[in-house]
Amino acid sequence: MIRFKQIEERLKKEAKRLLESGAVAVVLAYEKGYDEKHPMPYAAKNVADVENIVFNEYCNYNMARYLVRYPQGTKIAIAVKAADSRAVIQLIQEEKVKREYLVLLGIPVQGMKNPKTGEVIDSKTTCGMHNPVLYDILLGDEVHGHKIVSPYDVLVQYEAMDKDARWEFWKKELDKCIRCYACRKACPMCYCDPCFIDQSKPKWADKAPQSSGNMMYHLTRFHHLAGRCIDCGECSRACPVNIPLYLFHKKVAKECEEMFNQRAGMSIEDKPVLIDFRVEDSDKILE
Amino acid sequence: MLKKIAIEQISQLTAVLMDMGTLLAPVKEISGHNFMEIVDPKQVDLDFYNTIMSPKGAFFPHKEDFVKYKIGKPLSAAEPVLFNMKPAFLFGVRPCDVKSFEIMDIHFNDGGIIDPYWHHRRESTTIFGYAFDLDKPVEPADFYNTLGIYAADPEGSDIFMVKKEKELLLKSITHKGEKLLAHLSVLSSATSANEKYFEEYIKRGKEYKTRFTRVDPEAVALELEDVFDNTDFWKKISSACLSCGVCTFVCPTCYCFDICDDTLFGKGTRRRVWDACMFTDFTVEASGHNPRTQVYQRLRQKFCHKYSFHIRKYGVISCVGCGRCIRYCPVNIDIFTFVDIATKAKWYKRL
Repeated sequence: MIRFKQIEERLKKEAKRLLESGAVAVVLAYEKGYDEKHPMPYAAKNVADVENIVFNEYCNYNMARYLVRYPQGTKIAIAVKAADSRAVIQLIQEEKVKREYLVLLGIPVQGMKNPKTGEVIDSKTTCGMHNPVLYDILLGDEVHGHKIVSPYDVLVQYEAMDKDARWEFWKKELDKCIRCYACRKACPMCYCDPCFIDQSKPKWADKAPQSSGNMMYHLTRFHHLAGRCIDCGECSRACPVNIPLYLFHKKVAKECEEMFNQRAGMSIEDKPVLIDFRVEDSDKILE
Repeated sequence: MLKKIAIEQISQLTAVLMDMGTLLAPVKEISGHNFMEIVDPKQVDLDFYNTIMSPKGAFFPHKEDFVKYKIGKPLSAAEPVLFNMKPAFLFGVRPCDVKSFEIMDIHFNDGGIIDPYWHHRRESTTIFGYAFDLDKPVEPADFYNTLGIYAADPEGSDIFMVKKEKELLLKSITHKGEKLLAHLSVLSSATSANEKYFEEYIKRGKEYKTRFTRVDPEAVALELEDVFDNTDFWKKISSACLSCGVCTFVCPTCYCFDICDDTLFGKGTRRRVWDACMFTDFTVEASGHNPRTQVYQRLRQKFCHKYSFHIRKYGVISCVGCGRCIRYCPVNIDIFTFVDIATKAKWYKRL
């Protein structure tokens, strides 16, 4: 059982301490939105801001998304749940942020909810882990003793489809896309500036919401995240038309793991899998 | 004129409308309801709160092809893309969305430049407004009361519809609506009890409360002008904003677009596509300079456009309080809270 109120209190306490002592310039956490069910990502920059911090079962945003907004060298404390901590690790691996400038406030979670649908967020749409992989201060008791469900279990149905059926599936799903780009904006790993889809020379895809451009955008984004997606599921939750983007990301992550025996964002000692050449690497992709 | 039809016989009405022209109505999709061109009369589903996308797409589609051309051929060889000339019926529009058409008319149908695409569609479309279900709870994001709109306002519709248990009451509001209603033999005449119910429903609509704050357009415009240069304030307001385009795309009164050429193997299409001020590349100039590179500048533009510049230029707020931008915002940014703060005078001094 997660004691949200207790976590909130500890989050406030740590945020206050860190800001007061000048150990960090910003604390990335959550604040109350227009009602209880709709909290917002929050950047507390001084002690007076701390009282606005909240934590409840709807605080599912991946705060790692905001790290790259601050200039390199900014000292930041960040509230991280399991997948969020993996995003931070991945960003460290990719040298977008430095470990020494970060204070990770770890939050163990279980039974977080999607405010739009009310459904519990579990291994279906995320990595399904409960405890942060990396943290400096843990704000609640670690969650143990639950059956570990593989984040890839949800792929059973998808994998049962043949090539043509998968094409049809994605064509139908991606035709719904309105090209608002909420998925890439919610993604902690989508930090390219400019994103390939915004480039005009060359223009990689059409701007209109139609099959060809939608496919080009999503398939490219899926592959740009190969071996990098930490499976937080924020892209799918951000999508206003509920495209199950997590399925593709999970599929690619699974293949990556099978080929290179490495999961994204699990250790700051790792190198990002696609830039790390090892002699024993699988040749499956070339077969 | 008041007519009625049983809800379960609605497909008979929609079938007739389909014969007469193009029917756009709410259809249930996996993700929620949306206005779509109806191909099967049974598709129409009136059991919805509001659609994900606003109905502006009926007059101003997300993608509008203008002309098809071939590279190397003279201009005279280019072919304009003809658009649907059939009469259209926009069925089941909520009162707040009906109001948005009036605001959009300012840009596409009034004054100096008339957009032929918008103009033609507006002329040929009959709007069936549809009152919110007053027995169901109001969505917490909605705030159309703030903009002086009520849950059962018939204003702006040609025909206004109200649900009465298992029946749908249809009342003509404009001459165009009356002509159509008289022509629809599939409908039956309403009783005087129905008449009374309809009138009372409209009145009850005023009691159906969304979030509300008293907004004086002049005052709010002034407040926002005062705070425009307060960068710290805007940075604070926008610290959660992801700068995606959800809010503008679902908005019934956002009208920005881009003209794009899509050319492949020598054949091309020139088209208009929705654009959003929240996108980084929205303001990139030909020189490469971008006057709005930061998130706070873009969110400020969006809020001020709706609640300040638009008032100064056209005298009205460019928002109908439908709540979509709040409902679908991935990080729950709430324009109402912002407006509420802005209307309480001299708030910025306290920051």
